[in-house]
Order: sequence, then C-alpha cells, then structure tokens
Amino acid sequence: MRVAYFSPMPPERTGVADYSALLVPALRERLDVTVVRRGRKHAPRGTDVCLYHVGNNPDAHAWIVDALRRRPGVVVLHDFVLHHLVAGMTIGRRDGHGYLDAMEREHGVVGRLLAHGVLDKRIPPLWESRPEDFPLVSFVLEHATGLIVHSRTVRDLSRAARYERRVWVIPHPAWPVPEIAAERRGPGLVVGCFGVVNSSKRIPELLRAFARVRARHPESTLLLVGPTSPGFDLDRRLQRLGLEDEGLIHEGWVDERRLWALMAGVDVCVNLRHPTMGETSGSVIRSMLLGKPLVVSDVGWFSELPVGVALKVPVDERETDGLEAALELLVTREHVRAEMGRAAFELARRDHDLERVAELYAAALEESAGGGAVSDAVLREVSQAAADVGIAPATPEASELAKRLAEVDLAP
Amino acid sequence: MRIAVVRPQVPFARGGAEIMADRLVEELRLHDHEADLVTVPFKWYPGTRVLTQAFLWRLLDLDEADGRPIDLVVATKFPSYLVRHRNKRVWLLHQFRQAYELDGTGLAQFADSSEERALRRKVHALDRVALGEASRLFATSRNVSDRLERSTGLVAEVLPHPPQELAYRCDGYGDFVLSVNRLDRAKRIDLLLEAAALDPSLEVVIAGDGPDRARLEELVRARGLDGRARFAGRVSEEELAELYGRCLAVFYAPVDEDFGMVPFEAFLSEKPVLTTIDAGGPLEVVTNGRTGLVVSPEAAELARAAGWLRTHRDEAAAFGRAGKAIAEGVTWGRAIERLLA
Repeated sequence: MRVAYFSPMPPERTGVADYSALLVPALRERLDVTVVRRGRKHAPRGTDVCLYHVGNNPDAHAWIVDALRRRPGVVVLHDFVLHHLVAGMTIGRRDGHGYLDAMEREHGVVGRLLAHGVLDKRIPPLWESRPEDFPLVSFVLEHATGLIVHSRTVRDLSRAARYERRVWVIPHPAWPVPEIAAERRGPGLVVGCFGVVNSSKRIPELLRAFARVRARHPESTLLLVGPTSPGFDLDRRLQRLGLEDEGLIHEGWVDERRLWALMAGVDVCVNLRHPTMGETSGSVIRSMLLGKPLVVSDVGWFSELPVGVALKVPVDERETDGLEAALELLVTREHVRAEMGRAAFELARRDHDLERVAELYAAALEESAGGGAVSDAVLREVSQAAADVGIAPATPEASELAKRLAEVDLAP
Repeated sequence: MRIAVVRPQVPFARGGAEIMADRLVEELRLHDHEADLVTVPFKWYPGTRVLTQAFLWRLLDLDEADGRPIDLVVATKFPSYLVRHRNKRVWLLHQFRQAYELDGTGLAQFADSSEERALRRKVHALDRVALGEASRLFATSRNVSDRLERSTGLVAEVLPHPPQELAYRCDGYGDFVLSVNRLDRAKRIDLLLEAAALDPSLEVVIAGDGPDRARLEELVRARGLDGRARFAGRVSEEELAELYGRCLAVFYAPVDEDFGMVPFEAFLSEKPVLTTIDAGGPLEVVTNGRTGLVVSPEAAELARAAGWLRTHRDEAAAFGRAGKAIAEGVTWGRAIERLLA
C-alpha cells in the first residue's frame, strides 16, 4: 500500500522532524512510504492514503495543512492547540477574514468578535494569551479522514470538539538509548528535572518542595537541565529558598548526548506541567527508558501513566505539599525507586517500542485506506441476508443486527 | 455445570481442532458436566466472507438452551470465539493465521490492495474485541500465547491438552524415521526426504495424506528413494500406534507450528522427536539432547541427526523416556480442572 508522508524532516530542528526520522524507516518495512518534499502540496500519483503530521508551529506545518486541505487524509495531531498555526496560516498570510472565519466556526459570534479585537490590536494575540481556550483545532480536524493521537487525553479532547471519525491512540515511539556513561552531578541522591525552566513546568512549586526535603536530607541535589524562559528569574527564587549555593545545579540547553548522560545520572526524574492539552513528554519517555522513577503532575497524558511508574501530584492548592511527600518517599525508599524504575522501563519497552508503534501506524493507515469499503461490503451482505428473510430497516431485528455489527467494529 | 463447547466446522474436513473439541466434550461429560458441541459452518473466502461468516457467531444466543441456562461457553478457534456469553472462556488453538503470521508468505490469503489490507486488519479488530471479552483466556501452547500477545496485547495462560488416545507402546527402536502429518508444504516433509537422499542408510515412513502428496512422491522418484521411503497414507489408529511403537524416531518440523500433538504421541511411545529450530510450538517440549534433537532446517543436518540416533539407540531410548514423563503430565483431568477453575 502506498502512503504519502507529509512531515517536517531533518535537518529541520523540530520535535516532529526527529519523530519522523525515527518512525519512517520502521514504517517502510511495512508499507510503501514516500516522504513528500517540503512545500509540495500534492501526493505522488498512485497514493492510497496520505499521512499528515500537524503541530502548532506554522513554519514547520503550514505547507502540510495546505496539502491536507487539498486532499483529506489521516492526521497525526502532535498538538491539540493549533491557534498559533492557524494565525500563521491566516493573519500571517494577510488573510484576516480567514482568521475571523476560523474563530467563528469554532467559537461562534463571540469568537469572531474576539478575533476582530486581535486584528484591531485591541486585545493581545490570543495565541499568546489564551491559546488553550481557543485551540482552533477544527481548522485541521474537518479535513482529517482519521486521527492519530499520542494520548487518550487528546482523543477525548478531539471527541469533545465533535470529531466523529476514527481516532487511533498510538504511543510516542521510544528512541534507542545511546551507549553513554552516566554523569552524576551530586554526592548524594540526585533529583532531575529536564526541560524548559518556567512556571508552566511548575518550577516554583518544585523548588519550594525540594527546599523542604533538602532541609531533612542535606546531601540531596536538584538538577535542572534546560533553558530558562524569558522573565523567569530563577536566581532570585533560589536565593529566597536558600538553594543558591548548593543543593541545586542548573544547566541550560544541552545536546542530546549530554541530556542522556545527565538523565542516566539521576535517581529520580520530575516532570511537571500545567496547563496541558494532552501533549506527551519526550523527557518522560527517555527517563522511563533509563528506568527512572517519576514524579509528574496529575494532568493530561501524565495522568495516563500507570500507578507504580509515576507518583502523580494533583495541581491544586496543596501541590507543593504533594510534591514534598512524593520526593520524600523516593529520596528515602531505595526499594520504591528500584521497583518504580523497573516498571517504568518495562512500560517504555512494551508500549513505546518502535516496532510496535510502526505496526500500529500501519494498521491505522490500512484501516483508513480500505476500511470504509470493507465495512460497506459487510453491511451490504448482512443487509441483503436480512432482507432475504424479511427483516426490514428500522425494525427491532434490524437494530439488533446493527448493534451486533457495532460491537465487533464492523459497522461503517 | 452446563457447558457449550463451540467450534467452527468446515464441512467435509476434519483435523486436530475437531478432534480436540470433540474430545473435550467427552471428557467434560466424564467429569460429570452436561456438555454439548455447538458448530457453525465457516467459509473464509472470497473477500469479506471471512467477516460475514464470522459475524454469524455474534448473532447466536447461548445464554440458555431449551429454557435452561448455559453456565459456560468454551470457544476454541476463530471465529467461534465471537459468540456472546456472560461466561465465555477461550481455549485458543490458533487465530485466523492467514491474517497474522502467514500473511506475506506463500500461504497468505490477503492481497496487497487497500481493501484486502483493511480486511486483514478487520480480522485483527474482531480478535481484539472477541478475545478481550473472554472471562478466562487460555492458549494451547506458549507459541500461540506469544503470537496472541504480540498481535492483540492480550495475555493467555498456557494450557496444553493431551493427544488423541491410542494404544501407545514401545516395541523397540527400528531403522526407520516416522513422519505423521497432513501432507502439505508447510509441514516440510520434503526436508526428511532430502535427508534420506543424502544418507543411503536412512529409511522413512510417511503416514498421512494431503495436497502435497503428488509432489512428495515425485521427489521420492527423482531422488531414487524407492524402497527406502514408504507412503503409508491415512492409517488406522491401530496402525498408527504400531508405527509409533516400531520406529526409531519421529520427524516433526512444520514451519512455526502452533503446537502439534505429534511430539506428545511420539513421547507416549517412548520415541525421540527430530525437529528444527524454526518449528515453533514443538520446541516447547522437544529439547535438544533431552527429549530429541533440534537442528537447523537443512537436509544434511537432519540426515546427521537421524544417523546419530541410529548409532546411539540407548540415548534415543533415554530421550523417548524423558519425553514420556512430560507427556504423561498432560492429562485431561488437569486441563479441565484449570479450564473450569
């Protein structure tokens, strides 16, 4: 079966490009995959199904959505909030009306009025101030013949956005773990947090919780790895908490090899998030591959992690207390860390295995390309057999047949 | 308990699955249960017929029969496990193999068109739903269980069942290697014949019949094996027990077999089994140097292994006895106890 694959690819430096670089070779073992050159808007002749990777970055994905709007196909939704993408594809192309229409289609007259406010510069751009309230995902979903998402959270959000066609939840594939020596950054137990340092990663709450834990366990270290967001004054916060001299190490952006080395050298990984729209975390998947116990926020995709792999901390007024309790448990109980680490590794190996993910993709694409014809043929045969014995449409017997077909996934 | 054993029926065909289900009903009755067999014809071609025929099972109502409840349903094979029941147990002999490990091989059913590919995926979807509903899920071998887990994520307990009842005995270790199997390509009986061609002292007896017989007979002629390779055809139970009793060893090396009862039958006759490293299920009981010999699927290797057994009859007998101890541990009593627990 021939698949036209629309995605950013290396050397573009985006997460989706890396994702596709990992996935495409495994997919090619199962399907005839043609990666469409950036900017092309048509699938090659003879294509059975098109696969479109869509994320929120207009530079990387606008051309892909252009192609999708010409020929519907299966969409891989990497971000549920697409406001920035839609703004780039409308306002960014001097198509203010397109933006007004997109906002009205999804959010009614209020949406249109707000969009006017944005265009007239009366209110701040919504893609910066309130994107999660106005995801504008319908802009893409209305052209998707099927949807691939990485979490049940995004599936549920898509359903809530009235997307009624087929949705496949396919885990993010795991990277091969490089042969690399672990680099430990503290004398005692090291808690690591990898990713951008800012408020939405709950760094203030983590710092407060860790300061309390460290007061009892002064040999422990918190390692933050990632650039600081503009406006987030890490040093001042550390000073206030008495963590500025020791107990905390901050490294900014690091390359992939060093990221693995540092992650391999920690005892516990923390990955917090709020707000979230169901996005998966590459850091969490990497840390599971390394068999690290996790502390995460009890939100979105993170909530879907099994108990036993991650301690999940609710984002509420007691968040800092919850984080403190989770860290205290993991800092003091070696066997809990070991058990959770084993469970994390097993989950990553099983659910995020690249071959499994590629097989799920192949199944989704094959179902999408030919499933409709198969379901129609089944329905024709069953309907004909029912009619032959006098079962008319809209009778209880016909309803029973429809129910049974739906039970086993044979209904169109 | 009132138990319905369900299996599909291919009219005019009878094989291991049919024998097993019939025997299960008999054994359940012997264990004081009220058991009956429920069958529905199955035709898996052309096109979507595999799905519509499977769907017939979904329409059956086995909650009760003649005004009395059916307590338990035991399904054995695709598509019988699509049946609905509040207490459905599946003792899986195999899935619809054309949609799984046979896809892309010479035994494939589904072509490369979009519709055919989607059709295959629909079979997978049926399996996920129907097997996922089972209150207990058993597989006849580790091989079947592993395939199930790989394809659906469902985990089945391994529950082997005993082979057919014959007057098993050991009448010594003769000069011939016995093959007991349906004659089709996947059973690789040609491998044994090629081995005989390489070793002029190797004699083989081939019991069974099937679509590959003409090709195999031609191979015998072409290799000049007349007199050393005998086709016994379909044999009676008495003849089969007698062949098992007299042979040196039993050859059994299909490609990735689900499990296969032949190794157990050989073991109960105290005979070692000759198999190959890619035979699948048989490798769960045939251990190289303990209950038989396991070689790469090449005629020369097989000829060497058969020659070794002929010159090491004490070891052949020891392998056979070790196998017998394994086979004797698999009884209907134990199987039924676990099935109904």
